[in-house]
Amino acid sequence: MSENKVILSVRNLKTYFDVTKGIFSPRQIVKAVDDVSFDIMENETFGLVGESGCGKTTLGRTIVKLYEPESGSIIFEGKDIAKMKGKELTAFRKDMQMIFQDPYASLNPRMTVGEIIKEPMIIHNIYDNDKDREDRVVELLKIVGLKPDHIRRYPAEFSGGQRQRVGIARALAVNPKFIVCDEPISALDVSIQAQVVNLLKDIQKEMGLSYLFVAHDLSMVKHISDRIGVMYLGQMVELGPANDVYHRPLHPYTTALLSAIPIPDPDVAKKKQRIVLEGEVPSPINPPKGCPFCTRCPKATERCHKERPVPIEVGTRKVACHLYEK
Amino acid sequence: MALLEVNNLVTKFKTDAGDVQAVRGVSFKLEPKEALGIVGESGSGKSQMMYSIIGLLADNGVVESGDVMFDGEDISIKNFKNKREYNDFMRKIRGNSMAMIFQDPMTFLNPVLKVETQLIEPMLNHGNMSKEEAKKRAIELMKLVGIPSPEKRIKQYPFEFSGGMRQRIIIAIALANNPKLIIADEPTTALDVTIQAQVLELIEDLKDKSDSAIIMITHDLGVVAKLCDRIAIMYGGKIVEIGTDRDIFHDPKHPYTEGLLQCISNPENDDEQDLTPIAGSPPDLLNPPKGCPFVDRCTKAMKVCKDYEPPVSTIKEGHQCACWLLDERAVKK
Repeated sequence: MSENKVILSVRNLKTYFDVTKGIFSPRQIVKAVDDVSFDIMENETFGLVGESGCGKTTLGRTIVKLYEPESGSIIFEGKDIAKMKGKELTAFRKDMQMIFQDPYASLNPRMTVGEIIKEPMIIHNIYDNDKDREDRVVELLKIVGLKPDHIRRYPAEFSGGQRQRVGIARALAVNPKFIVCDEPISALDVSIQAQVVNLLKDIQKEMGLSYLFVAHDLSMVKHISDRIGVMYLGQMVELGPANDVYHRPLHPYTTALLSAIPIPDPDVAKKKQRIVLEGEVPSPINPPKGCPFCTRCPKATERCHKERPVPIEVGTRKVACHLYEK
Repeated sequence: MALLEVNNLVTKFKTDAGDVQAVRGVSFKLEPKEALGIVGESGSGKSQMMYSIIGLLADNGVVESGDVMFDGEDISIKNFKNKREYNDFMRKIRGNSMAMIFQDPMTFLNPVLKVETQLIEPMLNHGNMSKEEAKKRAIELMKLVGIPSPEKRIKQYPFEFSGGMRQRIIIAIALANNPKLIIADEPTTALDVTIQAQVLELIEDLKDKSDSAIIMITHDLGVVAKLCDRIAIMYGGKIVEIGTDRDIFHDPKHPYTEGLLQCISNPENDDEQDLTPIAGSPPDLLNPPKGCPFVDRCTKAMKVCKDYEPPVSTIKEGHQCACWLLDERAVKK
């Protein structure tokens, strides 16, 4: 994987939301994504983890330009999409697709499965007649493990796992190079989750796709990802190869987050000493001044409360923590 | 004597499409102070089974048959003259010797009542406590579940608490009358990982401190591995396997249990082993299969599995499994 080319390069990306109530109130800004930089290679799965409200979904959505970034750049195959607009943006979307979290809400209940999968092909003018499109839909249904005769059915006739397969087929319809998977398995049952994860892996191998895999289920993310980024309060606190991050976490937040995962083995789970974090995630409207994690960090020093740490390279990894600065 | 004993419980839901057979003959026992985990996917009937036991079924739900013995008393609905009498009786038990913790901490609490009012309510309704005593106990409970400055926070409203703190309050309400049994229905599902760890730690701590038995309903095998002494696996409205935590995790007998363990990834392992998913999806309980509920997805299914319900075999004391493979008549390889 090392000699692979960079397909997506995010630099100093910021996405802010204005949540000011009424014109006379003081301005309130949620810094959902605050100065995040990372690269994704070709054929790679980049896992993005964090608790709710850490900005991982916003980051994923900003990358496909569902949200307008405040500043920073998103370089996809040499072009900066952060500044793209109109027709250019539409054309770019052919290369980058998204799979959504909720398979019940992301499929139009009034369209048949065939129409749903066909729609992106029509928008991007991929085939000039309906016959070819229909053939392609049948092909896609087979790839994602559904039957060709499902084409005339409505989403309501499918189970959650099957609907997620339809969502995957729709994302694949335009032959993208990059897919943002926004918690694609968290709404599914355990036995179905594994089906979808394996399907995503197979498709990746076959079509040479890159994934940005957003999730809060850390064990699944480790399983599917080559590299992992850990987010906290809009910032990327640690980034590195999946196994390294799991076995030798550097940032105190990663350490705590990992020790919080319930291990499915009674012998390990009952003995395991957890690092239980005190308190909760601070509000992103008023984040701590220094390091975002300083209010809960067991190792925080005075400096952490004043100065925001800059990501530095430690071996294979990037960590934003004062502990590792020399 | 067992604290809770359930025998052959059958629950159906009347719908326009027909009867949904949510619980199809469930039997188990729970000893005092024991922690039992009930694991199953959505639609396996795990929640409806508990609601049948505590008398909180939706209006279209009917307990068709079955006996429920709780603390030496028969609390099966068929023992009562009518539903009203049953409800009146159950209302005295619930929140007193039997308490519940629900999944969603955002909707369980009444948003227009102060936390204090909600905490002392079960004590005033069931106990012989005066209001002053109840208030004192409420503050103790807040301390017990780890809420800082309880004297001040008890006067606040639920919206002033975060998700994890609300779940702590719900646990405090459940503990109010020192229940003999606490039923927790997915208590940490709505919470973030680090908050989930806090709440699990709290439940574990309370398990040691109090004399309550716990029934934990969840789909998360990691959670039961941490908290439970015994585990029941439910599928298609039936308990397919029940045993100690080690029986289930280290020596699973039912193909479904095995499959379930293979399709979760254990972050402690590093091998790039592929997950082995269970093909297909759970059975439709409007028309449940005649034989074993797992037959359509089972890799080891035999002819007999399709038409006949598998008998319950005992592997060893306390470890039971309903599968034809374990029957003495099955061909041994």
